[in-house]
Amino acid sequence: MSEPLIFMMGNFSAEFPQTILYVKNHMWSVQTEGSVYRFGLSAYAVRLLQDVYFFDLNIEPGMQVKAKQEIGSIESKKAESSLYSPVAGLVSQINRNLLDDPTAINVDKYGDGWLFEMQLDTEAVGQLLSPDQYMEHLNQAWEVAQRTIKGQVNG
Amino acid sequence: MADSLLTVVVSQGQSRNPEKRDLEKAIADICAQIPGVSVVVIPHLYDLAYDSETYQKLRAIQGDMVVFAWLYDRAAHWVLDRNAVRGQVGEVLLVPADYQSDEDEDEEEEELNDKDRVANLNPRPDRFVYCIDLRASEDKEAFVQEVKRIAANSAAKVLQNRPEISQWIEGTPTPESLLRYLNPVSSVQADAPPQTSAAASIYSLFGANELTKVEEHPTRRWYPVIDFSRCTNCMECIDFCLFGVYGVDTAETILVEQPDNCRKGCPACSRVCPENAIIFPQHKTPAIAGAPVEMGGLKIDLSKLFGAPETDEDAMQVAARERDEQLILAGRQAVGEVRSKSNAAAQKERPKDELDNLLDQLDSLDL
Repeated sequence: MSEPLIFMMGNFSAEFPQTILYVKNHMWSVQTEGSVYRFGLSAYAVRLLQDVYFFDLNIEPGMQVKAKQEIGSIESKKAESSLYSPVAGLVSQINRNLLDDPTAINVDKYGDGWLFEMQLDTEAVGQLLSPDQYMEHLNQAWEVAQRTIKGQVNG
Repeated sequence: MADSLLTVVVSQGQSRNPEKRDLEKAIADICAQIPGVSVVVIPHLYDLAYDSETYQKLRAIQGDMVVFAWLYDRAAHWVLDRNAVRGQVGEVLLVPADYQSDEDEDEEEEELNDKDRVANLNPRPDRFVYCIDLRASEDKEAFVQEVKRIAANSAAKVLQNRPEISQWIEGTPTPESLLRYLNPVSSVQADAPPQTSAAASIYSLFGANELTKVEEHPTRRWYPVIDFSRCTNCMECIDFCLFGVYGVDTAETILVEQPDNCRKGCPACSRVCPENAIIFPQHKTPAIAGAPVEMGGLKIDLSKLFGAPETDEDAMQVAARERDEQLILAGRQAVGEVRSKSNAAAQKERPKDELDNLLDQLDSLDL
């Protein structure tokens, strides 16, 4: 199996397994069965957040969500953010273990730290990025992220 | 058991942040050492049900109360109020640094007097509930000092009502001197003489110091809370919400009747409230979560980086869109933007009738 891809965020090397897919909003995705895909936060997102202490989802299994619809929120030591749906889909499962204790997001982001599962149609599946495509996206995203963080800290 | 002079309630946050947990514990432990003060540690007060053990316990407390929570003070006050833990809003001096100044508050109070507010028509009991936002400081001592200040005020109030206690103390003590009586250890050196018999007598009137913890594990909830010091009972919210959250009581006063019908994450009704009386304590926008004014988030907001859409909608359009999103999620039809009568009137002037035209003509005559 191939080595994970590495993206340098300053001195921190974020790792991205080549066996899974990614989304522009810094989630990863993997097919679990049939049209069902599992989603989680990529190493890039977890590094930006650092130490997630609180995680909440507004969605429940059976809900049809649109792409970029607000679906929850996350809080860490350094930051907070709303979470948005990576693509359109039908929610089939959410990881309730994280509601009480989101530690798994920090320690096992590509495993037990998964967030939710959705049934996708082929159009939505087509919007998922290969590891290489995601690396390309990160090059631009990292520039923007640095500007945003500096702007908010100094502003 | 005699009631405490003051009960300190520490509402634990939902976050696992160890710094937050440590602060909660430190405040509870230190406050339990203040004479006349009892401490109750409870789960997050917003998640608890009306019938929960915690609220049964809180409803039984008669005297003044200090409530620490990871919520804006206004949000905490009205969450308690809806659970029948009621009182007057106690003035808290320890507030987050970016709260508005006192001057503006006075102006706001004047503004609130121009209409009939539900809380004026239906006054709350004559005791104080002081809600303190745990985000106001990172220093536990700052919180403890605020509790001591409030305890002294409560003691002064008790003395006014119980002149026989004053006889034990010479003259009329100020809150400050009373605080020294109540809390001799903090204000004098350790080798100071033991507390006077007069002070000891005051303590004997109150229950012994106590630190209790209510062990409950509520699941997370999401529902609106009405600030009845602002609400005018205009019924915009009950007209707008299509999920049956709102109702009216026997006195035709608006209430959040079915809180758990509310759609998680949806704050739309708060946007249509003309008095900004509807609070969603957990919403990320400070103004909706009960902040005194619109202000910057306390932390960096990374939403834009994680895909927040850019919009230029007005509040009514946002509210209608949010409501449509929830209707669709619930498998129902979207209804779009339907403006209620009073909102429509505010948006658009009625067309001129004949009388208006006549008056216009009279005005234009140079008499």
